Amino acid sequence: MTRAALARFSEVALRRNPVSAQLLGLCPLLAVSNTVANALGLAAASAVVLVGSAGVVSVLRKLVPADVRLPCFVLVIATFTTLVNLAMEAYAFELHQRIALFVQIIVTNCMILARLEQVAAKETLAHTLLDALAASVGFAIAIVALGAARQLIAAGFPLAALPPGAFMIAGLLLAGAQFLRQRNAERELAD
Amino acid sequence: MSSALRSVAVLLALAVFSGASIAWLAAVVEGDIADNRREAELRALRELAIEAGVRVDALGQGDVLFCEPGLAIVRTAAKGYGGEIVAAVAIRGDGRVSGVRVLRHAETPGFADILAPDSTWLAAFRGRAPSDVHAVTGATVTSRAVIAAVESALETDAVGPCALAPSGEDL
Repeated sequence: MTRAALARFSEVALRRNPVSAQLLGLCPLLAVSNTVANALGLAAASAVVLVGSAGVVSVLRKLVPADVRLPCFVLVIATFTTLVNLAMEAYAFELHQRIALFVQIIVTNCMILARLEQVAAKETLAHTLLDALAASVGFAIAIVALGAARQLIAAGFPLAALPPGAFMIAGLLLAGAQFLRQRNAERELAD
Repeated sequence: MSSALRSVAVLLALAVFSGASIAWLAAVVEGDIADNRREAELRALRELAIEAGVRVDALGQGDVLFCEPGLAIVRTAAKGYGGEIVAAVAIRGDGRVSGVRVLRHAETPGFADILAPDSTWLAAFRGRAPSDVHAVTGATVTSRAVIAAVESALETDAVGPCALAPSGEDL
């Protein structure tokens, strides 16, 4: 990976993290982050859908007329989601039993649609794939961090495993991420 | 080609391609998925039998899945939050529950963790009357449905003769 690509990767995955900086994809984030295993499973499924559909959209970007691009994007995302869901039921049955509903609603994850609209519809295949991979890693970091925090805290404080706990802990983690971001920005200004 | 026609053509082509790829994968994994479902059910029943200390060689059809002196395994169902919850309940000769496994459900993920095979909540049914098992805070509908399902399993007419009879009737 070249230096520029690496910089781009960390920009998308960390500094402009889809969850902590752009607050996208919060629905699955809150719903499936009750354990690390579930969080990892959903992050992997989302990554396959995002990278796959971003690749297809990038290849087709010159063929798709602008006025039907959103229906086309959603159709591509829905196709990949259905394929991933089928593959999981066939090859990762136990995990599928736990998180199937949230694999199906990856379709509505606006983080994915945003990546397609902002990047895949305009950029080359290589650039798009790098961006999709970075966004997937960023999403995985956020959801696994929340999953780990909830699982640990739920051991002594059961509310953490329930939806209200998800909101509270996600709020605290987002506040922490925001704090780090502001401190970095201030340092950059000071330099 | 006018732009409207072009839009329709692109969307249509994409839809056909999408449908075809889903149909293809569905056909490829159909057998695997059916195997997984059957295996999961069998595994649940074997675990129930092991907990009760009984060897299960063959499983019956219908609602009474296993019927030997000292142990009956009954298929039971109740309406949960997201749909039907189907469970297998193992009942000992003394009429007490020896174990519960959920075979199929459509509960919300997260809430459904109490239905997993390693759930400590499901283990609480062991040796207790279902009415003594507490519903789970935050998953009240789901847990009450399981409690109701276990209750109805204990009331199944076929259970008495199975578990209590000196020589069980193999189904």
